[in-house]
Amino acid sequence: MADRYAHLRASLGDELLAKVQAAKLLVVGAGGIGCELLKNLVLTGFLNIHVVDLDIIDVSNLNRQFLFRQEHVGMSKSQVAAAAVKVFNPDATIVAHHGNVKSPEFGLNFVAQFDLVLNALDNVDARRHVNRLCLAKDKPLIESGTTGYLGQVTVIRKGETECYECQPKPTQKSYPICTIRSTPDKPVHCVVWAKELFRLLFGRAEDSMLYEDPAGDEPSAYMATVTARPEASADAITAYAAAVLVAQFETEVAKRIGMDVYKGAKRLPEAVAGGALRALAAEYAQAPSRVARKAGWDRDVWGVEESAREFSACLHDVYSSAALREHVGSMEFDKDDKIAMRFVTAACNLRSVVFHIPLQSYHDAKGIAGNIIAAIATTNAIIAGLQVLEALKIMRAAKPIREACNYVWCLREGTRKGLLLQPTALEPPSKGCFVCGTRTVDVHLDTAALTFGEFVSRVLKSRLGVNEPSVSVGSSLIYEEGEDAAQGLRANLPKRLRDLPGGGVTDGTSLSVEDFSQDLDVTVCVYHRVFDEEEVPDGFVVGGQMPVASAAKPSAEPPSAETGTNGAPAAAAAAAAAAVPAAAAAAAPTAQPAKRGREDGGSEEPPSKRAAATVATAVDTTGGDDDDDVICVGDD
Amino acid sequence: MSGGIARARLAEERKAWRKDHPIGFYARPVSNPDNSMNLMKWDCGIPGVASSDWAGGVYKLSMEFTDEYPSKPPKCKFVPPLFHPNVYPSGTVCLSILNEDDGWRPAITIKQMLLGIQDLLDNPNPNSPAQSEAYQMFVNNRAEYNRRVRLEARKNIPQDS
Repeated sequence: MADRYAHLRASLGDELLAKVQAAKLLVVGAGGIGCELLKNLVLTGFLNIHVVDLDIIDVSNLNRQFLFRQEHVGMSKSQVAAAAVKVFNPDATIVAHHGNVKSPEFGLNFVAQFDLVLNALDNVDARRHVNRLCLAKDKPLIESGTTGYLGQVTVIRKGETECYECQPKPTQKSYPICTIRSTPDKPVHCVVWAKELFRLLFGRAEDSMLYEDPAGDEPSAYMATVTARPEASADAITAYAAAVLVAQFETEVAKRIGMDVYKGAKRLPEAVAGGALRALAAEYAQAPSRVARKAGWDRDVWGVEESAREFSACLHDVYSSAALREHVGSMEFDKDDKIAMRFVTAACNLRSVVFHIPLQSYHDAKGIAGNIIAAIATTNAIIAGLQVLEALKIMRAAKPIREACNYVWCLREGTRKGLLLQPTALEPPSKGCFVCGTRTVDVHLDTAALTFGEFVSRVLKSRLGVNEPSVSVGSSLIYEEGEDAAQGLRANLPKRLRDLPGGGVTDGTSLSVEDFSQDLDVTVCVYHRVFDEEEVPDGFVVGGQMPVASAAKPSAEPPSAETGTNGAPAAAAAAAAAAVPAAAAAAAPTAQPAKRGREDGGSEEPPSKRAAATVATAVDTTGGDDDDDVICVGDD
Repeated sequence: MSGGIARARLAEERKAWRKDHPIGFYARPVSNPDNSMNLMKWDCGIPGVASSDWAGGVYKLSMEFTDEYPSKPPKCKFVPPLFHPNVYPSGTVCLSILNEDDGWRPAITIKQMLLGIQDLLDNPNPNSPAQSEAYQMFVNNRAEYNRRVRLEARKNIPQDS
């Protein structure tokens, strides 16, 4: 029998091949990048690989996750992928773990057994966690990500290179309420508004941004109308639909114009005539939802008439179905729920008409609502290939990792020299990094308003990526989570920060935050500050930067090319420009990152470095937070 | 301030315990009325060794520290008192490493104390009896003693977690 490894021996040499065959690897993620990566690793001669993924295979994965077939839908990604690549080389030992890499079974002791860890993840949260595990156990980590045409691969090694968290990551954008409620100027604002209207009508109304307290000072133009619950008869539902349409798109708009909300606006919003809305709502009976009518409907853009009809149709669909009716008051928006998405598209377009904002097709509205950038199989394949090249450099161990390896960008358009792949030097660790450097981070917040529970979930977990925080003030331990945690301390969660034991958390208090599952030990310095809700919707600011820097927010906006039209202040221009390509799958072939990035090969010059970092983060994160597996944001 | 030294050391002990502790044991400071932790008093649980008659039970023990800790050892007390030759009727454990005039050293950790007490369960020291019932039975009627130990184990099967 021919030697299976002859070609590898010829290309890698005996020495490197021996190292490759002896190495034990951990691959985190078996999705878009993970499938390519596993295939590449096995065909490159790696024989001992563990793969962790918590997901099961969805039909929408099959267009790019080539280890999966129709019959695998519903099965574990890690298990199917492991079995598939095992066929490529029966000598290989592929161990599949179906589970969340953040769970204790994949903790520090688990990571300790590997020579090298490769990330093929789709969210910032898990990336941060793996980053911390690898730092704690001093394991080299090859990090990757793609977003549409863009992608990057980098290598992280404790003490030698930047860690995943040395550069701050843009966080999920939250919109000021007034932009959504009164002064939208982009399609995404209307989509967010429509989702809030969905919540107001069908979900927990009090949680909606559009909710107005019926007992409040100012009489609401619409609350009484929307909270009514129509009988199941067609006439009653039509009347309800008409009333809601008129309240939202005529009465409320007219009221705000009357309040001079739009003084100084370039162009006043225009209410939709109530008579027309009423007539359209009633037309539903004669003109059933177009959704059933023809193929390709989801690419059509509905104008006022079709939108109002669809709006009415959705209310009919919900209220004439006993099963759906029952869930009014507790529904959650789901972009894959056709009724919800038709409703959001219709409401978004009516809103857009009022504010002279471009209209969206069902398909595009879904993309915005779900924060979706279409994943591209080719990008995933390129990135996974680059990861293997970096892995080989690490295996060869001829030079320290920072010298041997590169940060490599995959670009949408070539550099000036026409290159689509651009390697740059790895940066040294950032001294100020709260994970691998100073271990200190500043948080500005209102200590009299924020509860400790909000602090734990929003600041420590969501923003700082702490998995199981233990918190002490001075020598008082006030909170623990995880194995063997003292449950009694949970009593502190509902307290305001100021009222915590140990003297409370006030301006200048240092909290010691530890996570034994990540071997993380951070000092959080709290500074008391009251924020304007409109300027800082999150209610807190992390790091040295104060709200002024929130001008940089566009970089974190969901994809939808709108960033390009944003008149970003000069300070944030680089960040905004960098964010555009990240969001570009929508079709905006605008600026490209590397031109302002590290074309110079990793110069130390701060501005270019900074821009490059922003590109990196924009790329890693847009794909990022939770969502989308279905149409896939980037890189799963 | 000696109390400060004790608290600082106990905070370290808590961290060390949470990073790594023997399977089946627990050890956590009790809560103060203001919901902070009282590091000076810990609730602990010691599992009986699987191959012994103590198997299946998890024996509750309280550890009380003073400001002189770690110069002086904590007072370790089974709650409720345990049937065992080296446990006083009050529940206090009589063990050399817990005696400041004998084997105590400031470097001994909470983990070592608990492992030492676990070891004592199945290896009583007849040379320093602390309660007469268990001691007499251990010396005079080993079969009956072993039966009582198994009964003790059944009484201490953990309810949950």
